[in-house]
Amino acid sequence: MMNNNEVLLKVDHLCQYFRMGHKDLKAVDDVSFEVKKGEVFGLVGESGCGKTTTGRSIIKLYDITSGNIYFKGQRVGAGTRSYKDAIKTAQKKAAADIKTLRRELKENPDKETEIKAKITQINDDLNKIVEENRALIRAANADNRNVDKMHADGLLQSLETEYKEKFAQAEGDEAATKALKKEYASRCRIAKKSKLITQIQMIFQDPIASLDPRMTVRDIIAEGLIINGIRDKEYINQKVYEILEVVGLVREHADRYPHEFSGGQRQRIGIARAIIMQPEMIIADEPISALDVSIQAQVINLLNDLRERLGLTILFIAHDLSVVKYFSDRIGVMYFGKMVELATSEELFKNPLHPYTKSLLSAIPLPDPHYEKQRKRITYNPIAEHDYSVNLPSLREVAPGHFVYCNDEEEEKYKQQLQ
Amino acid sequence: MMEKKLEVKNLVVSFRTQAGKVQAVRDISFNLYKGETLAIVGESGSGKSVTSKAVIGISAANAIIESGEILYDGQDLVRIPEEEMHKLRGDKIAMIFQDPLSALDPIMRIGRQITEAMLLKNKANRKEGRAAFNKMLAQLSEKMTAALTEKKTIGSVEDAEKATAYLEKVSEYIRTFDGFNIKAISLENGYNNAKNAAEELISIIDDFLFLAEKKQKVDGVITLKSIVRKLQAMQDKYFVGKYTDDLNAYLVRINEAISEEKAKTTLGDTIKGLVGRKKAVAEVSQTIIQLCGEIKNTVTEMLAQPAYNFFRIGYYVYKNPEADLSQMPADEANEMAYKFLMEDYMNDFMALEKDAVAYAAAQALDNKKAAVAALEEAVAFFKKGGFAASDAATACKNVSKAVLDAINPLDVVKDNVAYTFSGALDREVEKYFFYLKNNPKEEARFARQTAKREALLAKGKKVDWKVVPKFIVEPEKQIESIVSVLDRVITKFKADIENADSVDVDKRCVELIDYLKEKASQVVYKLTKRIAKEKAIKLMEEVGIPEPRIRYNQYPFEFSGGMRQRIVIAIALSANPDILICDEPTTALDVTIQAQILELINKLKKERDLSIIFITHDLGVVANMADRIAVMYAGKIVEYGTADDIFYDPRHPYTWALLSSMPDLDTNEKLDAIPGTPPNMIYPPVGDAFAERNKYAMQIDFEMQPPMFEVSPTHYAATWLLHPNAEKVEIPPIITERIKRMNERGGEK
Repeated sequence: MMNNNEVLLKVDHLCQYFRMGHKDLKAVDDVSFEVKKGEVFGLVGESGCGKTTTGRSIIKLYDITSGNIYFKGQRVGAGTRSYKDAIKTAQKKAAADIKTLRRELKENPDKETEIKAKITQINDDLNKIVEENRALIRAANADNRNVDKMHADGLLQSLETEYKEKFAQAEGDEAATKALKKEYASRCRIAKKSKLITQIQMIFQDPIASLDPRMTVRDIIAEGLIINGIRDKEYINQKVYEILEVVGLVREHADRYPHEFSGGQRQRIGIARAIIMQPEMIIADEPISALDVSIQAQVINLLNDLRERLGLTILFIAHDLSVVKYFSDRIGVMYFGKMVELATSEELFKNPLHPYTKSLLSAIPLPDPHYEKQRKRITYNPIAEHDYSVNLPSLREVAPGHFVYCNDEEEEKYKQQLQ
Repeated sequence: MMEKKLEVKNLVVSFRTQAGKVQAVRDISFNLYKGETLAIVGESGSGKSVTSKAVIGISAANAIIESGEILYDGQDLVRIPEEEMHKLRGDKIAMIFQDPLSALDPIMRIGRQITEAMLLKNKANRKEGRAAFNKMLAQLSEKMTAALTEKKTIGSVEDAEKATAYLEKVSEYIRTFDGFNIKAISLENGYNNAKNAAEELISIIDDFLFLAEKKQKVDGVITLKSIVRKLQAMQDKYFVGKYTDDLNAYLVRINEAISEEKAKTTLGDTIKGLVGRKKAVAEVSQTIIQLCGEIKNTVTEMLAQPAYNFFRIGYYVYKNPEADLSQMPADEANEMAYKFLMEDYMNDFMALEKDAVAYAAAQALDNKKAAVAALEEAVAFFKKGGFAASDAATACKNVSKAVLDAINPLDVVKDNVAYTFSGALDREVEKYFFYLKNNPKEEARFARQTAKREALLAKGKKVDWKVVPKFIVEPEKQIESIVSVLDRVITKFKADIENADSVDVDKRCVELIDYLKEKASQVVYKLTKRIAKEKAIKLMEEVGIPEPRIRYNQYPFEFSGGMRQRIVIAIALSANPDILICDEPTTALDVTIQAQILELINKLKKERDLSIIFITHDLGVVANMADRIAVMYAGKIVEYGTADDIFYDPRHPYTWALLSSMPDLDTNEKLDAIPGTPPNMIYPPVGDAFAERNKYAMQIDFEMQPPMFEVSPTHYAATWLLHPNAEKVEIPPIITERIKRMNERGGEK
């Protein structure tokens, strides 16, 4: 599954800002990455670096500020701030240019035609930029609005073609046609309600807080199905029992309440709730941080099993690096809203390049007393490490598949280090 | 062998719940040595937190400590009354909790939270010091009289004459001692107040310079005025000494600076200041900063002067009220006063005191012998069983009296075992009668409810309630704990009797006088808020909080998780404890912060020579911290050894399971998760508690609890696999490979 190169999720210059007074809190600032089908992509960083916000933005729990999110090639989320900013800066620049030109005109009245032509040129350019960006904004808004409808339309179309044949086959047989009609109607209803984004599901960090204490396990797990328009109780029950067994619980648990379960079992319920929607992708937001050691292993093994059995793609958010290393194919390291390094997990642990990654790796405690006593922790001080006053940094590929957030100078240095 | 700090012996803790008695801790024992870190590792519900809470005496309300001992400094923490525990908790044994946010008060500034305990304790100490001084002096006087009376009656003729002469003077000697101590205290009080003012002055200047440097709003005039106040408060002749002229010069200069500064402010500034909109903040003038710097230097110098010994000088001044020693250098004055004190008073007083101490010790020894006899009698009485309540009460009373009598009142180091004996014994005896009365009731209730339930079941009804299991402690078992209380005192007294010859009377005399001196000066040691602030800021620096002067005035919500945990550590350290209990201090933090906090705890341990009990469920965290590790499961310690033993040579299947269920950086194979969940501790398993989840379990594991097998003198494990007859099993490959890797990585043993 690893050599599959189909990109399932593409996050493109994602920014998520929160309002704080008159300032913006840049929780996620210009983050880009791709998740391929069937892989586990780990996202690590200290608390408050924006990894959870990234996950939540992807499933549209927030309206993203700018950037695009593509799922299966379809744009599911788009922000407009960058276009608006582009318009604003263009307007400002044009205004400043025109001002200087007018001043010039006052000084040399003889060059009037020349300068006026320049001014019209600038205005035209500005209009063009504004128009372009407005079109982009419109497109983004339209995509945000219509993505579910487009998905539903697609499904309806495929249903129509499928049932056309069936109706043609069953022509003449009245009973069969009637049954088919009924089936077609119900499937159409479900298709109309389905959303593309439900194919990404999330497992939350705290299994106690994320389960409604007044709902039985059956209600919790079946809620998604019911919202999606399924009314057949038998079918729902069947599904719930199946899923319970998949996650290692038993039928009898369906009628109990969350408080009757241990931490590990509760997290299993959270996982069951996510996978009953038959998602293609799961965003696991620190699914094991709140659990005991022995239970952690159970949940990791369960996720691993499910991944193999259901062909899931997982975006795994955590701060425990040894678990992420064990579980993920590729890892992205975040620091204060920025992606600072992205590589395959072996590569990242073998050749960490960014100083923050190094400091993060040096902080992992290992069950080895002699090694631990010699371990030197590296501290990361962004002001001392980097000089970005002249040359601005960006995420660059220093080796195939290994991206680092750096500027030209550092890129050279890192490339040398790799050789 | 290192000094034992804490000893937990056969501790059993249960919780009374509606569903029955949950046996949280079942018979665990461990020792904590001075300056070491003991890690207790286990899953949640294994009883590690319950153990630590029992140590610090904050068990939940429904917890019952059924048996066992927690010995600290000769006292059994399980049995001492709350008032005694109150003196230890936080003071000697401090705790850092798991969640720093819930351990801090959200609406109280950080600074106040750190200084609160210091200030309260200081107040209590001053009160206590006076009382202790008076009590000890009264005892001394009494013993002196008794010793002299004895000498008079049974001593030789010469002795008797001398004794008669002294006997008349005893009360005068004691009065003199008290009198010159009061004089010394009043002198020292003046000195201390001046010293405090000086320290506060430095703190004010530090604050001011800090703010001025940061270009913050600060008013030079107000600062100067407060400096003047402090300088005036410093005018104690013993403190100021030769610096009097310097201080006066400063006062003049400050007044000049103030008037200069005032001249600068215009009317407009003043109005603005009064309106309060924009406070007039002129640049702080360089002269003020310079002046402050100079004052600080001088005051620091003054603080560094050798101190006067007010105990000696107090006597001198008491005898010569006109004398003024403040112009003499401290060393000389001390020397001179010492000579005068010794010749004029102390030599005689010491002789008297020596008699008294020897007399008291001899008397206590006799009483101890009598007490041991009484105690042994009591042991026999209780062991026999079947005693009536009134008889038991009389026995308790007699034996308590005997033990209390045996305490030497002139002992400076308190004999905690004897002091706490009476309360402990009463409580245990009370419990015995409670169980005696309650057990039949409990049996009856259990029988009644079971019958009801069975009747309902027989009728074919659905019963959704369970019978609460009976809670019974056998009277015999309770008698055992009564006897253990008695036994401890017997052993202590017997040891004392044996060591009686080696008691050094001279040393004791000096100790006694030191004790009186200490208590007297405790009264005048006053901690003001300013000084507490300086102490708190020093602590905050020690635990690595940047810019403590700003942080001091902030609220907990303004701190990040790691900083909050540092504050909690600072509060725990503020009382200078011996033992620090860390209950999962890093579980709520992420990797980098966790590493920082662990480093901090390690650093503090070295600097302050702390003994640490470190509780966690993460073995990785422990590798760096722990000297020794105890692995707990279902309320029992299943493996116990040094860090090397546990990580390089684990023996118990549960330790294997813990190690193999966590991935490290080189793990690629499937993790060995521990199947199932921990057992329900209302019905603890008969055999090894881990047997059900253990793939190496043998038949005997389900039938009998394994004893602790010794692997090496430092390494013990409770598993039948170590029995010589057991089959040899392979350690899971995930662990053997890891150990191999670890050895290759370069850790030489």
